[in-house]
Amino acid sequence: MKKTVIIIIDLVIMMLILFFIIQYTNAKMRESNENVTAAFEKMTVTAEQIITNYLEDEQHLCDIWANFINRSAEAGSPMTAEEAISFIRKAKISPSIYGHLIFPEESSKSGISTHSSSKDPDDYSVSYRNINLFENLDNISREDGVVSLTRAYTNPQNGVQSIAFMNFVTIRDETTGELKEALLMRVEPVSVLEDKLVFLRGEYDNVEIALINKNGEYLVHGKSLKNSNFFEYYKSYNDAEIADYNKMTDKVTSETGTMTMINSKGEGCVIAYTPLKSMDTWFLLAYIPAVELESTNTVVDWMLLGMVTLGLMLLLVFNYLVLMVYNRKLAEAAVVANQANEAKSHFLSIMSHDIRTPMNAILGLNEMVLRNSQDEEIVAYSESIRTAGKTLQGLINDILDFSKIEAGKMDIINVDYSFVSMLNDLVNMVQGKAEDKGLVFNLDVDKNIPSILNGDEIRIKQVITNILSNAVKYTKEGSITFKVGFEKENYEFISLSISISDTGVGIKPEDMNRLFQAFERIEENKNRNIEGTGLGMSIAQSFLRMMGSHIEVESEYGKGSTFSFKLKQGVKDWNPIGEYEESFKRSISERMKYHESFTAPEARLLVVDDTPVNLSVFQSLLERTMIQIDTAISGDEGIALYKKRHYDVVFLDHMMPDKDGIETLKEMKMITDTTNTGTPIVCLTANAISGMREMYIGAGFDDYMTKPIDPERLEAMILSYLPKEKVASSLDDDEDDDTSIPKFIWDIEAINVNEGIIHCGSHKAYMTTLKTYLDSAAKNVEEIEKYWGERDIKNTTVKVHALKSTSRVIGANELGDLAAHLENAGGSGDAGTLERELITLLTQYKELVRKLEPLRDIKGDAVEDNRPVISEKDMKAAYNDLTEACSSFDYDSVVSIVESLKEYRFPEGEEVRFEALKNAVDNFDYDLIPEILTCEEG
Amino acid sequence: MTTQTTGIIKKILVLVSVISLVPGLVSCGQKNDKNAEFIPRLSSDTTCRIKVAGSYSNFESLESEFERFYEYYPNITLNYVYLDDYDNTIDSALMSDEAPDIYVTASWMLDDDKMAPVLENAEVLSDPALDIDLDCIRKGARWTLENGDVIMLPIFTRSYGMLVNMDIFEKNGLKVPGNYSQLIEVCDKLKAAGYDTPIMGANGTTVAGMYYSFAFPYFCDNVLSDPDSVEALNSMDSSAGGMMRPALEKIQTFVDSGYLDPAICSEEIEDDYNAVIMRFFEGDVPMMLGSGDMVSGTQKRESKSEAFLAKPFRYKFYVVPLGDDGGYFLDSVNLFFSVNKNSSNLDMTNEFIRFLTREKELGNMAVIKRLITPANDFSLDEVYSSLEGFPEEKAFSYKETGLSDSVNKEFRAAAYKVANGDMTVDEAVNAYGSLWDE
Repeated sequence: MKKTVIIIIDLVIMMLILFFIIQYTNAKMRESNENVTAAFEKMTVTAEQIITNYLEDEQHLCDIWANFINRSAEAGSPMTAEEAISFIRKAKISPSIYGHLIFPEESSKSGISTHSSSKDPDDYSVSYRNINLFENLDNISREDGVVSLTRAYTNPQNGVQSIAFMNFVTIRDETTGELKEALLMRVEPVSVLEDKLVFLRGEYDNVEIALINKNGEYLVHGKSLKNSNFFEYYKSYNDAEIADYNKMTDKVTSETGTMTMINSKGEGCVIAYTPLKSMDTWFLLAYIPAVELESTNTVVDWMLLGMVTLGLMLLLVFNYLVLMVYNRKLAEAAVVANQANEAKSHFLSIMSHDIRTPMNAILGLNEMVLRNSQDEEIVAYSESIRTAGKTLQGLINDILDFSKIEAGKMDIINVDYSFVSMLNDLVNMVQGKAEDKGLVFNLDVDKNIPSILNGDEIRIKQVITNILSNAVKYTKEGSITFKVGFEKENYEFISLSISISDTGVGIKPEDMNRLFQAFERIEENKNRNIEGTGLGMSIAQSFLRMMGSHIEVESEYGKGSTFSFKLKQGVKDWNPIGEYEESFKRSISERMKYHESFTAPEARLLVVDDTPVNLSVFQSLLERTMIQIDTAISGDEGIALYKKRHYDVVFLDHMMPDKDGIETLKEMKMITDTTNTGTPIVCLTANAISGMREMYIGAGFDDYMTKPIDPERLEAMILSYLPKEKVASSLDDDEDDDTSIPKFIWDIEAINVNEGIIHCGSHKAYMTTLKTYLDSAAKNVEEIEKYWGERDIKNTTVKVHALKSTSRVIGANELGDLAAHLENAGGSGDAGTLERELITLLTQYKELVRKLEPLRDIKGDAVEDNRPVISEKDMKAAYNDLTEACSSFDYDSVVSIVESLKEYRFPEGEEVRFEALKNAVDNFDYDLIPEILTCEEG
Repeated sequence: MTTQTTGIIKKILVLVSVISLVPGLVSCGQKNDKNAEFIPRLSSDTTCRIKVAGSYSNFESLESEFERFYEYYPNITLNYVYLDDYDNTIDSALMSDEAPDIYVTASWMLDDDKMAPVLENAEVLSDPALDIDLDCIRKGARWTLENGDVIMLPIFTRSYGMLVNMDIFEKNGLKVPGNYSQLIEVCDKLKAAGYDTPIMGANGTTVAGMYYSFAFPYFCDNVLSDPDSVEALNSMDSSAGGMMRPALEKIQTFVDSGYLDPAICSEEIEDDYNAVIMRFFEGDVPMMLGSGDMVSGTQKRESKSEAFLAKPFRYKFYVVPLGDDGGYFLDSVNLFFSVNKNSSNLDMTNEFIRFLTREKELGNMAVIKRLITPANDFSLDEVYSSLEGFPEEKAFSYKETGLSDSVNKEFRAAAYKVANGDMTVDEAVNAYGSLWDE
């Protein structure tokens, strides 16, 4: 996982934690805010009670005065104003409290006071004429205990802001003696009330208590509440709709509650309100800045929240640092691992060379042993070596492929290819194998698949081969179905759908994951007799990945599996392949042509390799082609030959001491005075890893060939470079059989057997020709001697001509040449030459005939065959054994069975099949054996 | 004793010469930088209560200054207290235990013996030790005692003139008239445009009435140009009535021309404050005569006028251009602050006054109250922007005329009577000294 992804996840988790904390905190805050507000409101109600009590107490004192005065009146001795005031003067305790007795009905609204005017110590009169205080006299209660309170006003006597508690009293007019009503006022400075409010603050520092009347006018207020009217103040700083404003004023003047508003500084504040009980005229407001109320809210431990955030941040940083250190170590480990992997790749590349080189020797020399040995036991051993060698080669190839994939050096090289041709190869490879195991091989190929596609044919073939081989390997009975379909993607591409189903052992679900793992073999105990490195499927999967695809597997354990994949392929020729069967046949014939061998006695090759065995192998492999081969053991030696003669193809080993292949090549290319300027130079190398081809071509080679050398590839390559005029028709492969030409014939120096075979067209024909040559020899000698005894030059010449021809046919070229020389002499009547040399001719002729004498021991058409005819039962049993051995890839057994069958003659019609079998074994084409066995007789 | 003291004050009060004011004005300009930032002189954590007593029931503009002052002295509590029957209670209040630290004073108090004790309580604000920047007060707004002491700090001033509905002028392609002939011309055009009475106002004898705003500054200018007439005018000598003639004739002309219609004004405008403003907000009066108080009242009444809310318009205050070369700016202080020299928190009280006596703060208060700042900067309120750069020679305060309050009343009565056809101009001139009816 990338570092940034981890950090992002960390951050997200951190955010989620913080989000949760904040959400939780907010919820708690809201809850707490409600509690805080409720507490504030409660404080307000408490303050209201205290204020109400205070006001009621003050009113009560006023009422006591009034009652006393009124009782006097009721008792029939009403007081005069003077008397009443002097009573009050005596009754009141505080000097700051004034008693005013006013006659509000009078226009002057004047009366007398307990105190003298501050301006005139003798003046006790008081006038409220200029103070608008008694607009609603009716509202002033006459009942005891009901608070009748004025607004805050200026005491006209002392200029002090005051409030007054009022009650009506009845007094006697001093002059008229009549009773009249007067208003008794207990006047107190507002500051007294304000001082009391200070003590109501409780736990709040900045709370301000205000009292307002129904119109919002203050009785008292703190410094934060501006204006003379609370509602006007509210309006000045809060944009409220009229309806909301009215609702607010209604609420404030009717119930207990809390509201928020903006103050003159634009700050939020909370106002709790409640009416003063027993008075519907005054309302208490408690003002507090919202900030303070919030600060009393201690439910959120901001310190804790901060620490958690900080802690998480530290954790993140710590994680990041640890991650960084860890990543650094991982990076170092990765570097080490990469180095190790490179070392492995290097090792494998070395191995490739080092194993392939001796393998080349082993397989090549073994081939020679196989070809030349007459000893059956040795041949059998040799066959085993070949089988084991081929298997080992396959394993090495797998490991090399794997190492190339691992090292990222495996390239996908797209080429145009014939789809049918590829299909042929695949079907050829597998059909026989499947049928050998008694499996039904079903083919289902879409006839509309374009004929020429573009893709990496080799890798695709490798992938399918792998799957098909596995299907055959792991299926004991039932069938294998190879299905190929396609979908057109656009004008340039199709998507090939390949699916291979079998009725084999299947794969357990738990093993599915291991299927594509390198070196993993499913159910190894059970399948240990099945060869493999465990790399096949891994390589196949890797190849497909490189080609943008992958294998899909459906499997039911014990019932079978289906491996399928889709592959995008370019299309070069949209012509459909048509019915595959026809195509198959056509391709078989094409393949036969392709595999047709050739001879080129006129051609000459130069092979340079520091290993004599390799040179010997190379020569042996091409022996049948009759190509003339010059060998050189070093670069310098090769260059010397290169200068001297013309070659049709030069093969240069890459790895040589002193002067390697590339240096040698460069030197050769610099030579201008030679007929070899146009000669293709091919690199021989054991380096089989990818990129080598490009390297060699880049170095100036025309081609390259890997060791161990594949005889077919070698022949094909040489054929492609040889001038057409030097290539002769091939020997008849079908009938050709090295073993049918006895070793003693090969040993006769006077005969070039190969040339003879070529002249005769087949081994059989050659043997027949030889037999004929031998049979007619005695008569020919006799006739020549007879005619020459008669000095009959003409007939002698005719006989010599025949001898020339027949000798040349069997490859006795020296004899033939001599005969030709004498024929010429005879034709020109040169008796002298005949006299001198005829005897030599006859001596050589007789000598050759003598050497051919063992032929008389060989019977049959060409050679007499004394072997017993194999019974049909034995033959079938042997064929079955072969099939089984092939299916279990027990090629050792295959070789030994074929060897044992050589002891028998085969019935007519089966001979061809057996010859094919022998050929297949000799050529390591074990894959062909099941096919050969199942081919229709004849 | 009280009578004696006021007498002395009266005597020592002189008009401060224009010459002596010039350097003052210059220095005021120089102190602009000083005004930009107030530097507190006392400890910022000083705690005390300062009470300001006044006759305004509501003093929001002052309260806003309280808040600004709190920025420097957060622990101070400033309170504004409205005193009932202020003129009668302030002297008692000053003597009480709860005496205000700052109290409102007015120019008339200087002439009123009864108010002598109130003024005696006033701190001398011109004391250099207080470092109060009195120079920032406009010439016409300054009130200085003869001895050079300043005991009253002007807070708001007012003038007399007219509110002009700028939209009507713009709509009719008219310019606000700059002199008498232009005024006549504009009135004609407005009449032609369908405005039957281009000029309206409260048809009364108060200073807020339309005749005072219309012609009194013009009358004052006449008096200033003939200083010898002052004595006769003050002594109610009927021969001095001729000084009123030019002003009264112009009133007569306007009424005769139908530019002014007292009857319609009486019918449509019930009082000289609220009704004047609300009538103006109807939007069909090109020019509405009134005092600075009328202008002040517009602010809160815009939202109360449905007509104005429905169709708002731009308006500005102008002096009435009754002279051939323009109008006259009669500078009149609306309200002064005095400091109670017996204040228990005198230092902080003086500090507050020092804070307030700055163009910025005075301007700020004036804007809120929509009165004219006593300082020089008229730019803060667009309504008064016409006063910016007003010719100094045509700006004067009432005290500069030397006229008594009685002259003022006589003029108002004469103007009303002439306009309403109760008297001819000649009758009014001849009746000088007995025109005012209590």
